[in-house]
Amino acid sequence: MTADAPRPPAPAHRLPLRWRVMDRIEAVAAALWPAAFRRATPWAFLAPALLLVGILLIGLGYVISDSLHELNPATYRLREEYSLGNYAAFLDRPVYLLVLWRSLLAAVLVTAITLVFAFPYAYVMVRTRSGALRKLLLVSLFLPFFIGQVVRAYGWLIILGKQGLINQALEGLGLPAATLIYTYPAVIFGLVQYMLPFAVLMLAPALTAIHEEVELASESLGADWLRTFRHIVIPMAKPGLVGASVVVFTLTLTDFAMPEILGGGTNDFIASTIYDMFFQLSNPGLASALAAVLVAVGSLIVALVFRVAGTGTLGLRSGS
Amino acid sequence: MRSARGKAWVLWSMVILVLVTLALPTLVIIGASFTSGDIIRFPPEGLSLRWYRALWDLGGFRAALGRTAYVSALCTLIAIPVGTLAALALARRRMRFARTIQVYLLLPFTIPLVVSGISMMMLFGEARVLGQLWPVGVALCLINLPFMIWAVSSAVNALDPELENAAMNCGAPPVTVFLTVTLPAVMPGVITGALLMFILAFNEFLVSLFLTDSRTVTLPVQIYNSIRNVITPDLAAVSVVYIVVALAAIWVLDRLVGLEIFLKSK
Repeated sequence: MTADAPRPPAPAHRLPLRWRVMDRIEAVAAALWPAAFRRATPWAFLAPALLLVGILLIGLGYVISDSLHELNPATYRLREEYSLGNYAAFLDRPVYLLVLWRSLLAAVLVTAITLVFAFPYAYVMVRTRSGALRKLLLVSLFLPFFIGQVVRAYGWLIILGKQGLINQALEGLGLPAATLIYTYPAVIFGLVQYMLPFAVLMLAPALTAIHEEVELASESLGADWLRTFRHIVIPMAKPGLVGASVVVFTLTLTDFAMPEILGGGTNDFIASTIYDMFFQLSNPGLASALAAVLVAVGSLIVALVFRVAGTGTLGLRSGS
Repeated sequence: MRSARGKAWVLWSMVILVLVTLALPTLVIIGASFTSGDIIRFPPEGLSLRWYRALWDLGGFRAALGRTAYVSALCTLIAIPVGTLAALALARRRMRFARTIQVYLLLPFTIPLVVSGISMMMLFGEARVLGQLWPVGVALCLINLPFMIWAVSSAVNALDPELENAAMNCGAPPVTVFLTVTLPAVMPGVITGALLMFILAFNEFLVSLFLTDSRTVTLPVQIYNSIRNVITPDLAAVSVVYIVVALAAIWVLDRLVGLEIFLKSK
């Protein structure tokens, strides 16, 4: 604009330091990135992120490439020639299908249970008039979210374990000890507790978007709260429900820590199987093939949900 | 049941059930860490700080804590510029291929963590950096980057572009506009994102399990490896470190931007 206009000789010594520094920075920036490059600025801003995510893609390339080579049991190295043998191995071994089924069933159960309990929590959190209560509900949500999965699973071990608090209490009452840990329900329970904060945080913005007047209108027309929920609140919260289900479903399907710690090796999910193939069977080809199957199954299901129910709050929108 | 009182009753009983479920492990861990006995009993055999003392004497846990802090700090330091710039570009400029880029940048979320872990283990092994600590920080930044971009994007969307135009109209050159108008306006998003990145890296487990060995093990992996059938209170004392850090993060987040930011509809 006026950058090229002749300036009066500026009394540089009197300008504040900050101005002089900024002028210098602007000059350097203009030299390094002239106005002609302006159109490429967004790409320059994006480049570091694109490169960073590129690391993941290159690694994924290695996984897919390894999945196409079978293990040579004589040398414990992958064979040179390409084959689909690793993928065929899954169909021969029912145990892998069992693990896949167990993980999928858990994902469905955990999603359903989590949503049923997350919805009222999010609703009360959004609708309450008490700031203190809202804060309490938020903090109770963020604390476990920020503590991490391993520590939380450890907390459940203390409570549910063989010599855990519940069994100590049963013993104190003269009752026989119960097997609470290393069972499928324990894994499901641990996962539900793990997923609750995710689900509530996905639901809350969708509920905030529903004006309370709509509910009041429904009730003034004679609907009780159950009908209002069923016909007004839940349909209007659908974007949040879809978003929360997809997140909870995929995180559960691919979870490792809860089935390992609360399942104790008796209730492995796909992730544990992949890990064991890698480090116990030392078969990177087979592990990579299962990893590829997991990515495919997960993406397929998510795409299906998006096709049927829309993208919900996970939908992409650019700009404001 | 169908009355307003019934509604309050149903909703509240569910909320209380969730509250108890969410809080129980945390409370039990805190209680267990102060026990004076060798195993965890209820009621506790007595109160003591002996397990904290034992922890401090265990060099392994202290070193793992140090490594975890380093990795988390590195992750956050990378994420702040990378995520902020990406969010600014995505949210403000009309770009070609915007949708494709968004799908691409969400890959860290759509690819399961176990697969990301294996992928990066293979790549880092090939690049001969596996076994060093800094690649773990890069990996943790990568898998959580969408959180950073999301946090900044929501702040950018709340910023009126006319403010930047006004600054330019008044003669402010580009860097000045960026530093004095854009950056302060998106700062709440940057702070939220940075805190999330730090805390998520601090307790990340699965990818770290693939990328660390006994010399570079981080605290969550160390805790996982130490979980045995017999539950001793020393792990409870380590876990309290996590509870304290989480509480501190929540407090900072609430003070600086307010937790209510997570309730806002887009």
